[in-house]
Amino acid sequence: MVKFNKGLLAIATASLMLVGNAVAGPYDDYAGTTLVVNFPAHPHYDAVRKILPEFTKATGIEVEVDQLPYLKMRERQTLELSQDEGDYDLVAYVVFSKADYVYADQLENLARYFMNPKLSDPSYDANDLIDGYVYNIGFAGGDKGYLQGKTGSLFGIPYGSETSILGYRKDIFEKHNLKVPENYDELLDVACKVQELEPGMGGLSSRAASGHHAAHAFLLHLAPLGGRIFDDSWNPIVNNEAGVKAANALKTIIDCGPEGAASFGFGEALGSFLAGDTAMFLDTTVVAGQIDDPKKSKVVGKVGWALHPEGTRRGSQTGGFGIGIPKNAENKEAAFLLMQWLTSKTGDKLVALAGGNPSRFSTHEDAEVNAKFPHMKTFGEALQHADPDWRPIIPVWGKINADLGTTLSKVLTEGLDVQEALDGVAERTKAVMEEAGYYTWK
Amino acid sequence: MSTASLNRLTPYLFLAPAAVIMALALLYPLGYMVYGSFRDWDPSQSLGESTFVGLSNYVSIWGDPNFHESMAVTLKFAFTVVGIEMLIGVGLALLLDRKLRGMSILRTLFILPMMIAPVVVGLIWRYMYHPTLGVFNRSLKSVGMESVDWLSQHALLSVIIADIWQWTPFIFILSLAALQSLPQSALEASRIDGATGWQQIVYIKLPLMMPVLIVTGLLRLIDAFKVLEVILVMTEGGPGLSTEILALRISRTATEFRELGVAAAMSNFLLLLLLFFTIMMLSYNRWQEYRALKARRLIEEEL
Amino acid sequence: MAASTEKSQHPAFYAVVVMLVIMAVGPIALMFINSFKFDVDIISGTSGLLFMPTIQNYETALCDILPYEIDHLDFCALKFGGAFMNSLIIALVSTVLTLVIGCMAAYALVRFKFMGRDTVSGTTLMVRMVPPAVLLVPVFGLWNNEFCISKSSFLGGLIRDTFGGRGDVCLAGTHSGIILIYIAMNLPFVIWILQSFIVQVPRQLEEAARMDGAGPFQVFFKVVLPLIKPGLAAAAIFTFRIAWNEYLLASALSDRDTKTVPILIVNNMSEFNVEWGVIMATGVLLAIPPIIFTLFASRQIITGMTAGAVKG
Repeated sequence: MVKFNKGLLAIATASLMLVGNAVAGPYDDYAGTTLVVNFPAHPHYDAVRKILPEFTKATGIEVEVDQLPYLKMRERQTLELSQDEGDYDLVAYVVFSKADYVYADQLENLARYFMNPKLSDPSYDANDLIDGYVYNIGFAGGDKGYLQGKTGSLFGIPYGSETSILGYRKDIFEKHNLKVPENYDELLDVACKVQELEPGMGGLSSRAASGHHAAHAFLLHLAPLGGRIFDDSWNPIVNNEAGVKAANALKTIIDCGPEGAASFGFGEALGSFLAGDTAMFLDTTVVAGQIDDPKKSKVVGKVGWALHPEGTRRGSQTGGFGIGIPKNAENKEAAFLLMQWLTSKTGDKLVALAGGNPSRFSTHEDAEVNAKFPHMKTFGEALQHADPDWRPIIPVWGKINADLGTTLSKVLTEGLDVQEALDGVAERTKAVMEEAGYYTWK
Repeated sequence: MSTASLNRLTPYLFLAPAAVIMALALLYPLGYMVYGSFRDWDPSQSLGESTFVGLSNYVSIWGDPNFHESMAVTLKFAFTVVGIEMLIGVGLALLLDRKLRGMSILRTLFILPMMIAPVVVGLIWRYMYHPTLGVFNRSLKSVGMESVDWLSQHALLSVIIADIWQWTPFIFILSLAALQSLPQSALEASRIDGATGWQQIVYIKLPLMMPVLIVTGLLRLIDAFKVLEVILVMTEGGPGLSTEILALRISRTATEFRELGVAAAMSNFLLLLLLFFTIMMLSYNRWQEYRALKARRLIEEEL
Repeated sequence: MAASTEKSQHPAFYAVVVMLVIMAVGPIALMFINSFKFDVDIISGTSGLLFMPTIQNYETALCDILPYEIDHLDFCALKFGGAFMNSLIIALVSTVLTLVIGCMAAYALVRFKFMGRDTVSGTTLMVRMVPPAVLLVPVFGLWNNEFCISKSSFLGGLIRDTFGGRGDVCLAGTHSGIILIYIAMNLPFVIWILQSFIVQVPRQLEEAARMDGAGPFQVFFKVVLPLIKPGLAAAAIFTFRIAWNEYLLASALSDRDTKTVPILIVNNMSEFNVEWGVIMATGVLLAIPPIIFTLFASRQIITGMTAGAVKG
């Protein structure tokens, strides 16, 4: 069933031999175990499913995958992780679930595993993992509770790391002699110009549908334009000048976007770029694989990549998924072995070649990966500007995010005034934070 | 056991399974919900672990503009849908109430939309409304007209149209049945008196059908409050809250915002609202029966 | 009515009828056609019937139960076959149980005059008005946390030993859990419909059987049941339809092994790339059983529907 190209196969066999010769021991006790893992329906994890048979071949550990849309996955995990004994041995979680799970004491602290000589692979090279992602996705308890800091520790490992990047149609830009936008003024300018130059084509496709789609799109612009949701003492400042600017940018993008843009979720936004209906796409790096897939895309070979345009600062998003071991898992040690294998240098390279998003510096620089995916270098550069604080990862974020998303959708479709809308969000956010106890120490 | 005692026990034995299931899986949950609506309840807790918060869930939905909007959307959706469906359904029944060859085939085809899963209805319409792929915009374009942003600019309308497509046949079939069970004598008599088709409809058919129509309308109204899957698949409640009907709001509050207590309070509210409509319908039925009874007595007295 | 039968109808009348048929069936036909198209054809808009038909979408959907390997797939993501089996088990079992239990209750209500028909129809309506969304919260809570058997108890241990799985044995995540709520949702309606059929069974028949020495159960199964077959058929179709089509409660109660088809479809709608062809194929597969019922038993369906309102 699994189709591999030659390069992939070569590495796979190489890694197999490596495992076979050097470390015959570590997997022996666990061969024959079946791990139940919960993954999101997401291109990176589709790639993961392609390489899982390699893991089974190398270790004898079977893996059963339960793949769900990521919001559904989160609902499912909320339930599973709260049981005394759960079904899942390994879960992939959305970045913002980190706060919930760690706070509810539902994820294993990884220290116990990395200090266990029988489990921990000495050649793992954790320093090769991209710092921003480790802190953003795997680390909890540091500054503000969710950033890097002296009080934190590791609960998960980034896997399927994404940042935002600008994809543009090289052919269109050349034809009209357009300059690839480097800052926000240029971006908005070009986005609206496209409509005039290419009738029927939208400028930039963005998500905008009510709920987390709209919120995500807004946050994407908020960080580079200098804004934040909270100031340092948790007061909502989303309605300040930068916030309004970001919302206006989003509105301009949607207004100059393709038909129906205001109802686009991520799937539709990407779909319209793939169908050649828009000239630009500013969202996660995860799409690269699909854009080059002739079965899905009409723009194969026509897309160039550039960094997320700069506002007052560079600030592309940090997103994606991490993998962690639930406290109530049955086969924690075998789960750790799978986790370690997936995020190891070999695993990371394999998944990159299968179309996933690597999380290691070395994979981004790897010659073979770059030969197959020339955009990998730009992506690697983008990662250096990734902003781990582009959205707060606190337990009440889900609620604030939902409110932000529906309110912004009203701005986009019902013409609600931007300032008024954000003032409303700020006010409600303040109430939520008050209730959650963030102002206790004032 | 003697036959006599078995006979005495029989009714209870026959009723027991149904009673147990209804109590366990319907009444108990509803009671549980009422209880839960007074508690601060997270999906990862069992109800026992949650804390009592009095009326605060009710207070919070009372002051929640999103809940108000969702309420407004629900009412707008339900009444528009039922109104239009009644108009079209009854109209079609009046039009098609004649002996046609193949009428039974026709009826079969008409009930197809309401037999298939709401999820499938949703996906069909989501496809048809698609800004570029959908048949509507393609047809508009092929005749040179501006395409319409169905699901973002006219989301509620689009959802309403889909529901009308699915449920008008229900009204149609019921009104047709009602029409065909009308007393032929009254129609004959009016025809002899020289009534035109219109006059027959307005003065005889519609008044005689009225009791059935009102019950049908109320049944549909209750069902319209239960619609969820079609809208979930088509718009997920968006854009904004423009199609977030109450049922969807409840489900989102429970699963996405993880506030079971608040969701329970909303559920209670919805239940009371529907109870009101149901009681209205039941009392209308009673009233009808009472009137019929009185009329019969009057006739008997005159005889 | 009679007047309009003999003279042939105005052509415009037929035009209206044809248009109505197209409107009713068109969207379903559209889904059917699209399910045989490649995504590329759907997207590029080769409209109408000019396309290369393919069963690839169905292969993708059914990859977990097809006996051969499918070339265009790297791995089987959808597992539609399993979900289809779950849907089938849940819908069939809940239909049969609802009918048996409902039948008995309806019989008792009619023959032993417990409650007046008014009380029953009132209760039926009350229950009919309860939206699944309202049941979501309590059922989720109860099925996950309260309706459980400790795994250390004898029965719980037995279940865990035979069926595997972890933790306490709860209703949530099992077929039984979903079946139970569907029975509860459908029972009142079934009782009510069957009641109106049982009332019409002549008492003398039953008494004659009882004279011949039949017990109450024999009377019920040998005399009454065969006579109310049309009512049973109507009730069965309605119960099956709800159990087959329901999404919300099933999605709250099922786990990875008990997912039903509607859940699968919704899960595949809202994600990264909407693969229209495959989704249409799953939609067609889900729609086929109800469509078959409708084609073969439309009379019973209409009976059930009209009984629902006209006699209300």
